[in-house]
Amino acid sequence: MFKILRDLLRYNIEFTIGFILTLAIFLFALAHFWAPMPDTAIYLLPPDMPPSAEYWFGTTSRGQDVLWQMSSAIWNTMLFGLSVTILSRLFAVAVGMISGYLGGKWDEFLMTINDTMIALPNIPILLLVYFVMRDQMSWPVLALTAALLGWNYDARLIRSVTLSLRNREFTRHAVFAGMSVPQILVRQHLPYVMPVIFFTAMNNLIWAIGLEVTLSVLGFSDINRPTIGGMIYWANQHQAIIAGIWWWIAFPIIAVVLLFLGLFLLAISVNEYIDPRSRLSRMGA
Amino acid sequence: MLAAVENKSASVEAKPVLRVEGLKAYYQMNYFGVRREVRAVDDVSLTIKRNEIYGIAGESSSGKSSLIKTIAGAITPPLRVVEGSVKFDFGGKELDVYAQRPAMKAARWKHLSYVMQGSMNVLNPVRKVKHAFHDFAFKHMGLSEGEFRARVESHLQRIGLDPRVLESYPHQLSGGMRQRLTIGLATVCEPEFIIADEPTTALDVLVQQDVLALIKGVQQRMGSSIIFVTHDMTVHAAIADRIGIVYAGRLVEEGPTLDVFQRPQHPYTAHLIASLPRIGDTRKRVALGGKPPNLADPPSGCRFHPRCPLAVDKCKSENPALLPRNSGRVACWRAGEVEAA
Repeated sequence: MFKILRDLLRYNIEFTIGFILTLAIFLFALAHFWAPMPDTAIYLLPPDMPPSAEYWFGTTSRGQDVLWQMSSAIWNTMLFGLSVTILSRLFAVAVGMISGYLGGKWDEFLMTINDTMIALPNIPILLLVYFVMRDQMSWPVLALTAALLGWNYDARLIRSVTLSLRNREFTRHAVFAGMSVPQILVRQHLPYVMPVIFFTAMNNLIWAIGLEVTLSVLGFSDINRPTIGGMIYWANQHQAIIAGIWWWIAFPIIAVVLLFLGLFLLAISVNEYIDPRSRLSRMGA
Repeated sequence: MLAAVENKSASVEAKPVLRVEGLKAYYQMNYFGVRREVRAVDDVSLTIKRNEIYGIAGESSSGKSSLIKTIAGAITPPLRVVEGSVKFDFGGKELDVYAQRPAMKAARWKHLSYVMQGSMNVLNPVRKVKHAFHDFAFKHMGLSEGEFRARVESHLQRIGLDPRVLESYPHQLSGGMRQRLTIGLATVCEPEFIIADEPTTALDVLVQQDVLALIKGVQQRMGSSIIFVTHDMTVHAAIADRIGIVYAGRLVEEGPTLDVFQRPQHPYTAHLIASLPRIGDTRKRVALGGKPPNLADPPSGCRFHPRCPLAVDKCKSENPALLPRNSGRVACWRAGEVEAA
């Protein structure tokens, strides 16, 4: 594990940059546990202070320190994104592999659901859920809703991989040697599907963070909980751009762009973590 | 090549380990209301004795693979058994492949192993070789992890592989090593019966020699029986004790390898053997006219009659039964009349 990480850092520049960016942002987000003030408190500090030695990223019109707000916001946004990713990967892997391997009636049933979900637009459904739930709408509920909308393309992808594995010799031998369906799926096919899961997980994480930002900017989330989108929402509410409080809106955007960039670079290089062959070829072996 | 046949040991015990009786397995398809039936295995009966290597020969699409797939019980729809039975005898216990499915499932790999077509790809490309052994064989052997590992390592050493290959991925190994591993995988449980579908087809002649010697060695040490399929007659000559010739889903001739090569009784067999090149023989090889019959709509009577130089009217209307003749069996109205070219 550490050897793989070391090799990747040494031989893969995309991974190195992505890793450093993501790690830096993660450490910055982690710092919110040591914040000098609670992240939901308002009007603790003088409002509208530009960036200075005392307030590095300035303060908001609501009297909050942008630095510590951002630290909490990135943490919450990443937490949301990761929850969506993990939940939706579970759905995608289960549906994709079962559908691809069992085929027949199961395949028809699961893929009908899958294709229906693909045809439905996401944002209107999320808005509908938000308006129905209103006050009960907490971030875990939102994460679950987003996860239920975010698995279907990847389930199709995983199904296609499993379909190609179903008739391979090693599968037929495994069946002959008496391995059960769950054993074949987990031991024989899952390692093959793993790069797809990893790659789609990174894309899904980026999608989920984008979704969270979109909904929060529009105010369709728990607005008292600091998130990247939530910060932009409040900046818009206080007309920060017109009032010249650029730092309130610029720093969250820079942070989320850097986070996206870091995750994207990790996504394109993570395949090498799972596929020993492409890693070896990069090392010139 | 024929010299190899004459060296064959005749130490074959009498007790049958496999009995196939009147086996019929058809591909039955029903697409949009159109029924199609391909008679890939049509009324095949054969027995295989303990400690015997039985080769099945025939041209492409003659139903060789379907036949041994059916014998192994590894068929999936649309291929279905229509009639007949396949019975194994493992240590005095009779097992009917299609009537005793749970017992059969338990016997697989332990008593009966199967090297499928394209067996170079038996190893999962994204997993280390040791996992393949563990997945396929561990639960059939009833050993602890440590004992199992030791057994696998000594087994690999015996078939000429360094136990370190267990820690490698399949793409790090050569084709010959993978083929050896496949055979190692099929024999690690020391099964009484091994089914092999074209085990040497993708290999060049040198590696082929090597692998054939390996199969033969493993078989002799364990005293197991092997049924294997290949269209390569030289491979049959090299290792089979008896061979069966399949034409259009039917067994047309069967007998001890030497007798079949020297005195083929069926005209098809005669042509098959006449097509083999021999050292010092400069005559032009004559190809058999026509092409293999369509098994969805086979010819009437003897299925070989449209291509047979000896065909008479009776061949077109009546199907000859597989009857004993000399040391083997043959299904032909004019058996033995052919002059091997």
